[in-house]
This record gives sequence, C-alpha cells and structure tokens, in this order.
Amino acid sequence: MGLLILLGCFALLLVIGMPVAYALGIAALSSFVYEGIPLLIGFQRIVSGVSVFSLLAIPFFIFAGELMLHGGIASRLVSLASSAVGWAKGGLGQVNVFSSMLFGGISGSAVADVSALGSLLIPVMKEKGYSADYAVNVTVTSSIAGIMIPPSHNMILFVVAAGGGISVSSLFMAGLIPGILMCLCLGVAARWVAIRNNFPTEKFPGWSVVLYSAITAFPGLFTAVIIVGGALSGVFTVTESGAIGCIYAIVVCLLVYRSLTLDGFITAVKGAVRTTGMVMVLVGCASAFGYMLVLYDVPTQLTELLYKISDNPIIILLMMNVMLLVLGMIMDMGALILICTPIFLPVAISLGMDPIQFGVMLMMNLGLGLCTPPVGACLFVGCAIGGVPIQRAVRTIWPFYLAILLTLMLITFVPSVSLFLPNLLDN
Amino acid sequence: MDKKLSIKPILDRILDVLAATGTLISSIAMVVLVSTFGWLVYGRYILNDTPTWVEQLALLLIITIAFMSSATGVKERTHLAVDIVPLMCSPRVKLILRLCCDFILGGFGLLMAIYANDLMQFSWYKEIPLIEIPEGVRYIPVVVSGVLITIYTTVSFISGLLTLITCQSNAQLLAADSKSKTEE
Repeated sequence: MGLLILLGCFALLLVIGMPVAYALGIAALSSFVYEGIPLLIGFQRIVSGVSVFSLLAIPFFIFAGELMLHGGIASRLVSLASSAVGWAKGGLGQVNVFSSMLFGGISGSAVADVSALGSLLIPVMKEKGYSADYAVNVTVTSSIAGIMIPPSHNMILFVVAAGGGISVSSLFMAGLIPGILMCLCLGVAARWVAIRNNFPTEKFPGWSVVLYSAITAFPGLFTAVIIVGGALSGVFTVTESGAIGCIYAIVVCLLVYRSLTLDGFITAVKGAVRTTGMVMVLVGCASAFGYMLVLYDVPTQLTELLYKISDNPIIILLMMNVMLLVLGMIMDMGALILICTPIFLPVAISLGMDPIQFGVMLMMNLGLGLCTPPVGACLFVGCAIGGVPIQRAVRTIWPFYLAILLTLMLITFVPSVSLFLPNLLDN
Repeated sequence: MDKKLSIKPILDRILDVLAATGTLISSIAMVVLVSTFGWLVYGRYILNDTPTWVEQLALLLIITIAFMSSATGVKERTHLAVDIVPLMCSPRVKLILRLCCDFILGGFGLLMAIYANDLMQFSWYKEIPLIEIPEGVRYIPVVVSGVLITIYTTVSFISGLLTLITCQSNAQLLAADSKSKTEE
C-alpha cells in the first residue's frame, strides 16, 4: 500500500502538471506520513541530498556551459567545424554534428548544446537551402553528445545516485568512445538524408582557413582539456577542475576573445543559477523518493520480476532499454537518472554488466528521450528555434533515431565500446 | 474587481522584487563558490597551504543557490514539468489543474518552512566544523525558500481563482491567460 501511495501520488502529480522535482518530494513525504516516519526526517533527507560534496561539480559545469554560450567560445567552435567538414555532402549537417561534439564536450548539457548551436546554425542552414526540419533534427539528435562526451553533469548525478563506488573519471572516459561513435553514426545519417534531398555543399575554404579556425578555437577548446585532463591526471578533483574550467573560460572570453561583456557575464550567472536550482532541488527531492523506494525493496522486486519474464540476459537488457526509452520519452533526464539508477543498477549488476557500462547505456537511453515527443526538452527547444512544428520534425527524424539506436545496441551488447578507455586508464 | 486591479500591480511588483533578490543572492553565492575553489587550488599549489574551510563553505553556498533559485523558479514557472495532460485540456480545466498544483505546492512550501525552521533550531547550538558557524545556518535558505514558495503559490492561486470566477467563457479565460503571460 505504501508503494502504491508513493508511485500513485507521483504519477497523479505529474499528470496535473506539478514540477517533477516537487512531485518527487511530495510523493515521498506522503509515504513518510503513511509509514509514520516523522516529516522532519523527510525534509532532512531533502536538504542532505543537496548537501553532497561530489554534486558541487554540477553548478561548475553548468556555469562553464553558460560562459561559453555568452562569451563567444561556441561561435568559434562552429567556425572551426564549418571550415573542417562544411565541404562534405550536406556540409552544414556535418558541421552541426561536429560542432555538437566539440561544444557538448565542454558544456556537458544537451539542452545548452541545442540552444547554443541551434541559434547559430539552424538559421544559416535554412538560409542556405536546407529544409527546416532537417536542420532541427540534426541539431536536436547530435545534442546528446553533450551528455556522452565528458565532462557531463548527468554522469555526476549517476555516480551520486549509484551510491558512490564508481569513479567519475572512469565514467567520463567510458562516455568518450560511445559519444564519438554516436556522432559518426549521426554524420552518416545526416549525409544520407542530405544526398536523398540533394541539399547543397559548401566550398572547401582552404587549409589556411581551417588552420586559422583551429588556432582561434583552441583557447576555448582548452576549457575541456582543463576540466577532463585536470580530473583524470589527479591534479584537481572533478569539482575543482569544474571551478578552474569556469575561471579559465572567464579569462579566455575576457582577455583572449574579448567578447564577454558585463551583461553577458550576468546573463551567464543567472542562467547557471536557474539551472542549478532546478537540478539540485530535483536531486534533494529524489533523494527522499529514493529512500522510500529502497525501503519498499523496489530494486529487488524488479529484478525478480524481470527474471520471471525471462532469464536470458539479452532479453532482460532489451527490456531494460525499452523501459528506459519509454520513461525517457515522458520524463526529465535528471529525475530519471536519480530514480532509475537505484532500481535498474542492481538488475544490471546481477546480469554481470559493469556499473560503468550501465551508466553509459542509461545516459544514451535517457538522452534519446530528450529528443522524442511527448516530453523532449531538446526537441522542444530545437523546434522553437527552427520554427518547425514538433509533428513535422518527428516525421523526418527517424534516420537519426536509427543512428542513435544502433550506437545504443553497441553500448549495450559490446562492453568494450564503453569499457576500453576506463580499463586502459586503470592499467 | 476594481480593488483587485489596483492591488495587483503592487503585489506583482513586490513579488518581482522578492524574486530578483533571490536571484541576486544565488548569483552572488555562485560567484563566491567559483572564487573559493579558485582560492583552494591557488592555496594548495602556490601557497602550499590548502584552505580547509572551502569544502564546508561550498556546501553552505550550494544549499543557498539551490533553494533560493528553486523558489524563484516556482514563481517564473521554469521548473521542468510534464505538461501533456494540461495542454490537452480546455482552458477552464487547465486553470483548475494549475490551481490544484499551486495549492499542493503552497502546502509543501509551508511544511518546508515549518520543518526546516525546526531543524534550524535543533542544530543551532552545534557548530559546522572548520568554519565555526552554527549548523542551523544551513537551514536558513530552506526556511526562506519555503516561505517564498508559499507566497508565490498563494498569490498565483488567488489570482487564478479570481480569473476562474470572473471569466465565464473559454475565450475569456484564454484572453486572461495570454494577458498574464504578456505581463510575466
């Protein structure tokens, strides 16, 4: 009955349009009341869920992304991508994917990726004769690179939700090959669609322009090197490297690019604070919700249920993927990481899957959820920027979905895709 | 009705000032957070003297950022929500669902303020290690956030209720909805 109250309240609140974070908190507190646990403990769990040292990296990554957006780093990365791959068939589609790989690798946020690159690239693509839905589709789907390619604040959420014991550096490394692989698959899909629709090709600007763009973009790109390199080398902790990344981004945008104004800085801080508030309260409320899930022994019950359906690991993994995809279609990524990790991780471990591989699989599934209706933050932002109705974008997005699903299957069934680099790092 | 119209701009102005103050406090906390970590690294590698207070201060700052800006998010409706069902409903049902959300969230905010206040009082005489300030300070942003959420949702609830009572048709409700969005 207690579990019914927990899940029923949560579902009901979601249906009436309650913000996800508070729906989690209120559902958890309802269960606290039903079980006779003092509400004081419930609120203490919410506050202590926010007050976790390893979570401090999240505001730094979000702030670094905002600084790049308002400080001129994003536009230089697009110039580099444009000169390097713009001459291929469906050139600007390739530019979009490559830019996402570069930008996402630094900002770590899919939504930031869509809003930053979408505002820069979608209007240019439309102007040069690409269809609006193609421009939106390629921008939206390639934004998942922001979640997969390190640094990624969602990966930190996963590590916290997994209850520690997983190295953030290893998880960062694990996301790199799948992220690049996904971008390659999306590049192929973008090219295929461009050839079918006879979209234009850009002229090759010459090696001197490529070199100039690379040199100009290098100081901005170095932000990612500082954040990831600092954490991997052990010079900084992940949190410290996030903060140093922010300070470095401010210095580069102010002194090197000279494109960060006071207004731009204030906008970046406000944006970072707004997103941080949303994410951290979500974490706090999900912490109380997760406490009740564990109290009701949901992970064990789910494992038993899945084993009743089939004891074939391939079928169970496919079922998990389908469940995560469906959940990702209707709910926000951060909340799902915090809810699904304690539930699905024990199932994955019981199948012999490495927690790091599971983490990467989870990211990819929920990342795809950001690009699908009915609730897909990236799809909504992309469609709003491109002025394309969601139903029109979705009609032509399937080649990109297939590219992502192909990568997802590789991640799920070929462990070395995600574990090769972390193992190399350990050795 | 006239009374409502004359009070509303003043009330909106007060709420805007409260939200702006919340954002300002969170923004200052964010800048201090980044700076202290810069100082931590500088102290460790340049001064050879790692400042040990940074971690505890950072945890205080993150609570401030999280709870202050999430309260502002309630007013500005920037929190992520699943809007599928409300979007499918008629304007009247949509408004009723919003009123339900405001009512429940207001109750949550009130409980948060009350219980966080209790937690603050319980832990006031304990000190946070290394920064030597009362442990109860940790809960101040939570209390403030709870109070702000209650204020924002109460005002929104009353305003929505008045709209529901005064607007008879769906067209009037749509017009009132678009007017309030423009004002926001």
